[in-house]
This record gives sequence, C-alpha cells and structure tokens, in this order.
Amino acid sequence: MRVADVPCVFCGGLCDDLVIDVENNVVRKVVHGCALSQGKFLNHEMNASFPAIRKDGELVRVTLDEAIGEAADILRGAQYPLVYGLSNTETGAIRKCVELAEICGATIDSTSSVCHGPTSLAVHSVGSVRASLGEVKNRADFLIFWGCNPAEAHPRHYTRYSVNPEGLFRRERRERFLTVVDIRETPSNARADMSLVVDQGHDFELLSALRASIKGYGISDTAGIRKQDIEMLAQKMKTCRFGVFFWGLGLTMTSGKDKNIEAAASLVRDLNEYTKFVMTPMRGHFNVTGAGAVLLWQAGYPNSVNFSRGYPVYNPGEFSVSDVLARKEPDCALIVASDPISHLPRAAAEHLARIPTIIIDPKITMTSLIAKVQIPSATAGISAEGSAYRMDGVALRLKKLVSCEYPSDAEILQKIIEEVRG
Amino acid sequence: MLLVTGRTVRQGVASEIGKTGEEYSKNTAVVFLTRNDMELCSLESGDHVVLKTSFGSVVVRCEEGRWGRDGIAFIPYGPWANLICGSDTQGTGMPDYKGIEVTVERTLESPPTQERIARLLRGVQ
Repeated sequence: MRVADVPCVFCGGLCDDLVIDVENNVVRKVVHGCALSQGKFLNHEMNASFPAIRKDGELVRVTLDEAIGEAADILRGAQYPLVYGLSNTETGAIRKCVELAEICGATIDSTSSVCHGPTSLAVHSVGSVRASLGEVKNRADFLIFWGCNPAEAHPRHYTRYSVNPEGLFRRERRERFLTVVDIRETPSNARADMSLVVDQGHDFELLSALRASIKGYGISDTAGIRKQDIEMLAQKMKTCRFGVFFWGLGLTMTSGKDKNIEAAASLVRDLNEYTKFVMTPMRGHFNVTGAGAVLLWQAGYPNSVNFSRGYPVYNPGEFSVSDVLARKEPDCALIVASDPISHLPRAAAEHLARIPTIIIDPKITMTSLIAKVQIPSATAGISAEGSAYRMDGVALRLKKLVSCEYPSDAEILQKIIEEVRG
Repeated sequence: MLLVTGRTVRQGVASEIGKTGEEYSKNTAVVFLTRNDMELCSLESGDHVVLKTSFGSVVVRCEEGRWGRDGIAFIPYGPWANLICGSDTQGTGMPDYKGIEVTVERTLESPPTQERIARLLRGVQ
C-alpha cells in the first residue's frame, strides 16, 4: 500500500509531503523523508514497549489493564503529581493530559520548558510578528538563522520552506540572502551568504548592537563580530523586502535566555519601521507547538501550569519541570510521549528516578529504565490518527499508516481519567 | 573550555532506533572538539575523556569534529551530557545547557552504559 501526503512526525517542520510504502503492516519505504524522518518511520517497530510494573527493581510484564490500574492508583494516592512531556503525541492526547492534570491537582509542563520556554516569556513582554512558512516560501528575500542548526535538527527546512523552495514571488535561490549566526560553525553555514560566529553567551550584545546600528547609532566591534560586519548585516535587514528571523536553542538555552529573545523580538519590531520582517521559532518535537497551543486554550497559559488550587496558576521557574523536580516536590510523575531521563539535568532526573514514575510511550526509553509503570501506546502519526501543530502554528491532520495492538495515548489517558475519577 | 549541548542527525536517528541500544550510546556518549583543541589536550579520536563541570563528571568518547570552534566542547543531547548539567533555571524554567565551564582530560575508564546511568540516578548499585 502506498500512502501519499503523509506528515512527518519527527521535528516541528512537520513536512506533509512524504510518500510511504506499507507492507504487511510495516513501513518499508519513505520517499521525500530526511534522515530523521527515515529513522522515525522505518524503525517504528524497534525497541517496542510493553505493559509492565517494576517489582523488586525489575520491570515485570503485566496486562495493559493492570498497568493502567496501577498508574491510576499511583495518581489517586499522590499529594503532588507531575504530568510532563506532551510534545511527541497528537493534540487530542495533550488535551487529555490537561484534563487529567486538573483532576489530580497536578503540575503540568511540556518539553517546551527546556526548549522554547524562554521564547514564551519574551513574547509575553514584547510580542512577536509572525507569518506562516508558506508566506516565508513565497515572499522572503532575507533569512537569518540564529542559534540553530537546521541542517541537523530540521534537515528539510532550507529546501522546503526557506532557502531553496520555488515560491510565488521568490522563485530562485539567488533571490534570497541567507545569514547564519551561531557560536560555532555548523553544517548550516555551508550554504550561507553571510556567517557570523558570535562569542558564546554574548548574543544579547550582538542583537543590541544590530538594533543600535539599524537606528543609526554608532557602534563598535561587539561579541567577537567586527563593526563593519554588524553594519552590513543591519543594512541588509533594513533594505530587504520581506525578512525572517528564525532562532533556536542557541538563544534560549544560553545565558540571557528570555532576554535574548526579547532583544530579537525587539529587533524584528524595530525592523518593521523600515520593511516587513517576521520571526518564527525553530521548534524541535513535532507537536511541541501543539502542546503550547492546547495548554493555552485549555488553561490559559502555554506551559509550567499548576492545578493544585483547583484553578490554573502559571509560573515558569516555579512550576517548570526542572525546577519542581530539582526541589524534590512531586511525589509521582506521569510522563507522556517524552524521555526526560535523556533530557533533564542530573538533579531533576535523580528525583524522577526515585519517585513512582509512569511512562506512556510506544518505545522503551531511558525513562523506562527508571519507571515504576510502563504503558505502551500506538505511535501518533504512524499507528494512531490525530493532529499536530507545525512550528508556525499551522495545524495538520496526522495519518494512521499501520495498526497497533495497543491503544492511542488519548485512549489510554481516557482510561486512566475514568479510573482516577472512580 | 565551554560545554555546549545540541542536536546531531546521528543522535536523532539513533534515538529512533532505540535509546537503550548501542547505536544511541555510540552517537550520544561522545564529545566533539576541534583539531587544535585535540592537539592541545594530546588527544586522538576514539580516546576516552572525563568531562568535569561544577555539577559532576562523566566519561565519554572524544572525536574530532568536522565543524566547531576552538574552546567549545560540543556534546549531543542525552543522558551523558545531563550528568554534568545543572538544574538551576534562574526563574525561567530553562537550565543552562550551553556555555558551561568544563575540563577535558584523557582517562582509561569507559563511558557508563544506559543501565549504569539509570542505576546511578535511582541510587542503586
């Protein structure tokens, strides 16, 4: 069976032009997919999870209903549960996570906290001018990628959305000027018209110098970049017809964090005095944008939400996953479609490993190795339907390509909700 | 040196093959240095090194990176990198995953396996 127009479920680019061959309920071939996409679809059966409960230090296989029952018991008896992950599943499952967090009085957070959480903080302060990737493809003649490496993290971004695609008004590569700014050379520099290697931790200064230059103030060499290069870049940005600022974790994870994004958003705002300029975050997990969207329309806030008072309270730094775990506050955790043991700092991972942790995931992960309860699920976008939000906020319908012996994340969460409610 | 964590294609693909498997550890328990820094530290590709920060230490394999910058030790996202990252977020929710001061030193020890890291985190031998 050949299925066309399949959205990829790896990164936030959500390329929806894959053509996938399925034989005997297994994905055999992925056409148009990048290396990450091939890795995801062709290995969807590898390292598959199974229902299990940890007894005497070992995960012991049980029935799915027993695993779900144990998970519900843990959540029912908890004083302060944590619900975390959300970004690698479909929108309906995220909605169920929020419902469950509200019922349990839990803190709920998505991987966004350790990804573009600082972007949300900056947008609260400054706002941001956005556009769809379709607008970028059709109109952009100036592109800047700052603190991100799309060649490795979003391999088809250049060709499908930004640098090389044939758009309505920008039909050839030479009609677009590509600038890459990072603290080190990466494969993304290879095709750049201009590359700037900024001193580690000094992005804020460089962004501020650019703002000053755009407004006509005199500047000096800044953050390891020569004055004339900053002035040339400022001039390019001011005189383009449609510019786009893409940024990644090189700005959110380094010193300055949300202040870096505030400076970037202010730069884009300033540029709109002279031309059309927009900004789009380079989101990692395929539905991390959806996690923020669902939490926003259900709780009113994009991440780091606490329901212990019976209503949502938002406070990044207090209710963010790394903070609550490092302070050893949660007495149990429900992890959905994420692998925090692979992605959280040691102090946070240690507490997670020492409390009853429930993991819902199609695969065995590092978090499975510390989990009290392991619940397998169908893979969103491969063996379960649903929807997901692309990095620019456009929602796309995911396809079910193969069948799976286990229910979807949303169905499992619904069962847990029913059991917790009693 | 300054430690920077980040995505690589190989780490991303390996995570889909299986995070408890060899392909994942091969592509994640590794630090990339420039040729200059390798020479400065008398290291060759394939050597094992111990990375030490104020938050802890971890043994990983060392490779010469095709890309990079002198003074930057680049390590893919993963449980090995996390062992030497701090959890303080300065009120933002985001820990410092980039720009951590780190020392790099050759060692005869081997990188911990995923099982070993899990036991370490659980506090069991």
